[in-house]
Amino acid sequence: MPEHDDEIIEQVADELRGPVPLSASFDARVMRAVRRFPRHSRHSRGAVWSRLTAPRAIVVRPLSAGLLAACVLALAGLGLVQAAKMVRAAAKPAVGGVFARTAKPAATQRVQFVLVAPDAKKVAVVGDFNGWDASHAAYQAKHRGGGVWSVTAPVPVGHHRYSFVVDDTVWMADPTAPRASDNDFGLPNSAIVVEADK
Amino acid sequence: MLALLVALALAPNDARAQDPRLAARLDKPTQFAVNAIVDSARAAALPTAPLVEKALEGAAAGSDGPRIVVAVRHLAARMGAAKHVLGPRASADEIKAAAGAMDFGVTVRDLARLHAAAGKRPLTMPLAVLTDLLGRDVPLVTATSLVVQLTRAGTKDAEFALFQRNVRLDIEHGADPAVAATTRGRGMMLKAAHTGGRPTE
Amino acid sequence: MTPSPNPRSTLSDAEIVARVLSGDVEAFAVLVARYRDRYARYAYHMLGNREDAEEALQDAFTRAYRSLARCEDPDRFAAWLFRILINRCRTTGARRGRRARTFVVDEGAVLAAAEEHPAERAAWREEIGRALAQLRPDQREAFLMKYVEEMGYDEMSRSTGVGVSALKMRVMRACERLRGMLTEVQNA
Repeated sequence: MPEHDDEIIEQVADELRGPVPLSASFDARVMRAVRRFPRHSRHSRGAVWSRLTAPRAIVVRPLSAGLLAACVLALAGLGLVQAAKMVRAAAKPAVGGVFARTAKPAATQRVQFVLVAPDAKKVAVVGDFNGWDASHAAYQAKHRGGGVWSVTAPVPVGHHRYSFVVDDTVWMADPTAPRASDNDFGLPNSAIVVEADK
Repeated sequence: MLALLVALALAPNDARAQDPRLAARLDKPTQFAVNAIVDSARAAALPTAPLVEKALEGAAAGSDGPRIVVAVRHLAARMGAAKHVLGPRASADEIKAAAGAMDFGVTVRDLARLHAAAGKRPLTMPLAVLTDLLGRDVPLVTATSLVVQLTRAGTKDAEFALFQRNVRLDIEHGADPAVAATTRGRGMMLKAAHTGGRPTE
Repeated sequence: MTPSPNPRSTLSDAEIVARVLSGDVEAFAVLVARYRDRYARYAYHMLGNREDAEEALQDAFTRAYRSLARCEDPDRFAAWLFRILINRCRTTGARRGRRARTFVVDEGAVLAAAEEHPAERAAWREEIGRALAQLRPDQREAFLMKYVEEMGYDEMSRSTGVGVSALKMRVMRACERLRGMLTEVQNA
């Protein structure tokens, strides 16, 4: 293999090995999600089983024998049902809540919009892909720190016009994007072309 | 009187075809006027979604009704002109992209040149790149000429994307837009000549 | 005043797993802190953007917590977590499509804005990101494991369930494609 070719791969790997910072709230978000599930309780499972199986002196009176047998069977059944529930819960794929996603049609791609606006309190993306609706939930940007706002949202494949709306009042074109072609309404817009995934 | 009767006869169809967002965000007269333009466009087999989106944009921008109607009408006219040049088989995306390019000043004649250069290949990507270049202030004549040449040379979509990306990066690093586009375009043409027009991927 | 170290942080993975399985849910935070940075890198380069990477990683940790009783070798919790993450990235990649190749925004701009990296470095990083995004997912996965996570082929095979010779082929193809795309960029 020519040395030059190795160099490119080494350069690429070197670049990719750099750290990728996560958002400051990542750990807290994971723990919040984890706390929603039942605690693991290895000891309590063991305690139920050991109570059922531990030898004990039983004084059986003729009248209570059947009742006692029924209770033992009921307790054993409860233990088995509980164990079965725990196994099913562990095996079930996580659905709902933060994990639920609807499948996006193939003609839509997820696009990340970024705006640096240190003084903003609220940033939304409006465009011809969301009816120019500044209150559309999927297009509300989140503040990532350092005045950087971003949102990743679905945009159909094709050519679109869009803008940022800051604090519900100010329209801002995307400074990293080409300007859109028209000035029909005197407000700045940007253009985006979204390609289909190959 | 006849027009009124025709309008009334069409009313139930109009009601079915109306986008509910227009009713929610436009006043009645503007809504009526926009719907009429949309219906005409539909009858002419033009895409109507861009017209609705234009009206919604105007509403979101707080523009008055007449300004919205003018904007929608102009867009319909551009799309009609684009379809006339690109032919009946032009896709909605191509018509929309062509209308966008025309709004930057690309003439019907330039559109026809581009259409001839592409032959049977779709024009969506060349038009998108052209509009992108114009949006980055590459002069109209330079941008149009480059895109026509690249299209005539058989440049594939991925190669157009690479060209656009390189031009964008050059401009972001301070290059003059015309120089960036011309230099990168020349590079693409040389590569196409060298590889005999074969795809580079 | 420096914060006092987490008294659990000197514990081994197996010890922490045992605590979590005994009901100490907060102990799981040690495992999160221990491995999130290492696997954030893989998720980010597989999926192409920070938001998807964080969601896949969060998903992986949460699944790991729920299935912790099924971790057969708690001493190798990291490798087990990584296998879960590989699958989450595959599912996320298949379900959402890769990050769109757009003409607008790039991670380099975000990093430049927030972390003041040089523009040239950000541009080169962006080119690498775009080239990586153009690889087939299985080739990208194999390339990242081999060259970025520096795993051996046997370990890669255990993590992915794919045979060693198939993995070698994927890495080779990935390298060929990356060389092709990035040499073109460098010479342009």
